[in-house]
Amino acid sequence: MKNKYMFGGFIIVIFLGLMGYLFTQSNIKYESDFTNVINNDKTVKATGSWVKEKNYVVDRESKTFSFYMADENGKQMKVVYDGVMPNNFETATSVVVTGTFENGHFHAKDILTKCPSKYEEQPIQSSSL
Amino acid sequence: MIGSIVLTAALVLSIIAMVMYYLTFRGYKNTLNYARLSYHAMAILVIVGSTLLWHALLTHQYQYKYVYSYSNGQLSTGLLFSSFWGGQEGSFMLWLLLTAIIGIILQSYSSKRSDLEPRVMAVFTIATSFLLVMVSPWFKNPFEYIWAHPIFINIQDINPQYLSMPFLQNFFFSDQQGGQSFVRMSTELYSVLSAQGIAVNNFIIDGRGLNPQLLNWWMQVHPPVLFIGFAMATVPFSFALAAMMKNEYKDWIRQAFPWVLAGTGVLGLGIMMGGYWAYEMLGWGGYWAWDPVENSSLIPWLIGVASIHTLLVQRRSQQGGNSVGRYAKTNLILCILTYVFVLYSTFLTRSGVLGDASVHSFVDPGMLVYLFLLIFIGSFILLGFGALAYRWKDLNAKLPEDENLLSRELSLFTAAVVLGASALIVLVGTSAPIYGQSVDTFFYDEMHLPIAIIIGFLNGLSLLIKWKKTSTQELLKSSIFAASASVVLTIIIVVLSGMSNIMMIILTLSSSFALIVNTEIAVKIVKNNMKMLGAYVAHIGIALFFLGVIGSAAYSEEVDLDLVKNKPVQAFGYEMTFTGYQPIENNTKYAFNIELKKGDKSYNAAPVMYIAEFNNSLMREPAILSFFTRDVYFTPNGYEEGDSTASGESSVVSLQRGASTEYAKTKITFVDFDFPAEVRDAMMSGADFEIGVNLTVESEGKKQNTRVAMQNKGGERLLTAAELKDVNIKIQLSNLDATGNVDLALSSLDGVAIDPTEPKEEIFSVSASIKPFISLVWIGVVVMVLGFFVAVGRRLKESLV
Repeated sequence: MKNKYMFGGFIIVIFLGLMGYLFTQSNIKYESDFTNVINNDKTVKATGSWVKEKNYVVDRESKTFSFYMADENGKQMKVVYDGVMPNNFETATSVVVTGTFENGHFHAKDILTKCPSKYEEQPIQSSSL
Repeated sequence: MIGSIVLTAALVLSIIAMVMYYLTFRGYKNTLNYARLSYHAMAILVIVGSTLLWHALLTHQYQYKYVYSYSNGQLSTGLLFSSFWGGQEGSFMLWLLLTAIIGIILQSYSSKRSDLEPRVMAVFTIATSFLLVMVSPWFKNPFEYIWAHPIFINIQDINPQYLSMPFLQNFFFSDQQGGQSFVRMSTELYSVLSAQGIAVNNFIIDGRGLNPQLLNWWMQVHPPVLFIGFAMATVPFSFALAAMMKNEYKDWIRQAFPWVLAGTGVLGLGIMMGGYWAYEMLGWGGYWAWDPVENSSLIPWLIGVASIHTLLVQRRSQQGGNSVGRYAKTNLILCILTYVFVLYSTFLTRSGVLGDASVHSFVDPGMLVYLFLLIFIGSFILLGFGALAYRWKDLNAKLPEDENLLSRELSLFTAAVVLGASALIVLVGTSAPIYGQSVDTFFYDEMHLPIAIIIGFLNGLSLLIKWKKTSTQELLKSSIFAASASVVLTIIIVVLSGMSNIMMIILTLSSSFALIVNTEIAVKIVKNNMKMLGAYVAHIGIALFFLGVIGSAAYSEEVDLDLVKNKPVQAFGYEMTFTGYQPIENNTKYAFNIELKKGDKSYNAAPVMYIAEFNNSLMREPAILSFFTRDVYFTPNGYEEGDSTASGESSVVSLQRGASTEYAKTKITFVDFDFPAEVRDAMMSGADFEIGVNLTVESEGKKQNTRVAMQNKGGERLLTAAELKDVNIKIQLSNLDATGNVDLALSSLDGVAIDPTEPKEEIFSVSASIKPFISLVWIGVVVMVLGFFVAVGRRLKESLV
């Protein structure tokens, strides 16, 4: 019996199983169509751009930051983020928010902002460590 | 022009070197000298090309698109130097430069070791050739002229004396929304300028510059170190293929070992530098986000570390004999995979597939580059695994012996498997965005917790288990000290910290076990044999790192504080007082001072906030108070000069010209700026000036005009507010900028008359957190890298075969 294959194989099988399970538990899909986001109560990463015509609001009391996002079809939704306005929000052309749509708006737990044709995108801001 | 010629010539030479080396391997006589000549000439040309790029950056040659896009006149010399790798083209150049230089060292090294040179260099030059194609005029050429493809240049960057010239009028373009004007630079404009005898770098006098988050010294250090690590991964790959070319698998182990150790060590250092950068500068309080691009550089590191352990077994089992040792196939596979994953990492970062997933990824580079990246990685996968398939029968000729269950050989193999499992986990999570999926970071955390626990115990045990065979009694006897000491240490830690999570406790036990076993052995051998310390020091490093991660990641606490000026607040056992702010760094940023007192000790922390000109956004920098047992971390959230008698909500709105907002049943419209020509002149000439913001306020059918302003008196900037008693609203101007945007802070008045002599309340909002033992994270990494290099020293001596 090849000891090393047994040992290695055993460990690999256990981990593959665990990994498959955890992957399904932690899976978050990317959604570029907001109709899917709104009709869903799963956590998703919604991609789109923020609507500059509708002003963003910084609420110091509840420590939230809200704005409107539009998807590729022009459908809009309100996003409320538990935290401060991300550093490069003003000039961001597109935004990816992670969270769930409930009570009429999207609760974001993190925001990724992207600037046009620059070297890099801006840091993910998370409301939890 | 000359830059492109230099790089193209280098490409030709690289291919010649590759061919010449291959012919030498096949037995041709005079080709070795040509090969060496071509390689060195290629390396010299790459150095020349890099120098040309640095020169162009340092002398602001904006006729080059790369120089315009990633540098400007405000960068310090150090940062200007680092703008070399600010964009795609430059980062490929950096990789190429470092690879070429490493090749010079490799050539010298391999020439002293029997017939190694032609084989290893023939493979190495395939890599340099691919990189040279990447920076050639067909793909990502750093010397591309700015007019080669149409590009919009902000008029701020154009020499003002040409702005009113008639020939330029057709090339203007205005962005209505952003309120900015551009000149469209293209081959047409270039011909017009040439006809007028105007040099492009006289026409364009400033560049776009670097993203503000790159404007610190980490930008000068992290990418180069990281790329040295990447470039060095080319070497084990070349060694593996060289072995397969000759169909001999004994010598390459000792020859390659120091390179694998050095490359993996440097790569690990580079990766954690990125983590420290994020921690110190970005303000989200962490050092590792499991960002797909970060992860993609971790994978080759994990594979590299795995290969070190299996290389060790092969080397040990070959000692004193003439036959090939154990795990010959595994070592070939792992060394091939290390470089393949470096290429995969590059592919993920640069191809645009991770566009929505990562903070670091470049934007879509276009179909051509995307395809070339695929061909690059595909060729190396084919080369590596093709050769392996070709030699598979020969590799299997000698039947492997079985290992004993309790043997170091098997433990090391298990170590490699566990590290491989970790790499697989990271690979799966990182590649998920390619398929439109992603994973929450807890995927990585949960999967790695058991792995980290296993690594700790396995590491300790494997060093107590002897080579070939150990009896169970022997093992129990030698582990008794470490086992009991680690239990004691764990109990102390659990009691002092109040740790209650069972997984964390087990992980602490496992890390302590590894720490103690390694320290025990290190202490025994330090007197006689310092150079043998490498592995033990490295393992001590990783154990400390794990303990640091447990403390800082699992037991951090955070609290949001609104610090009113000069009013102390109690948090985390400190008395914290916001004492005010002052401008720093030539008035470009503001530091907000917090005084901390604990007992009779006092400290100072000053987080920074500023508006970056680059993108007109609020930027934040944290302040960190570091102690051995904890870091006190401050992230600035905001600052308000409140009205001491104001109550109720205030909100900040950002308005474009013509836009309105609604506040407390009142409609406020930003009409336009009051910025006539005289004021503009005053501003240009440095005199006092005032830019007005005209607003209309409508409520209950009544409309009135009002005005707020930005005044500049004697260099001091003052933003005024309008207080409208009849609608109970105060409009404070908080910012205005050249894009035509104004920020207004709206709040309600109480109807109480404001006493102008009463001081306004200054409130600084900050998130304060405590990170226990995060110092061990950094100390652990440094100790680990030190261990790597001690090992390099030892293996270098043994490598002369």
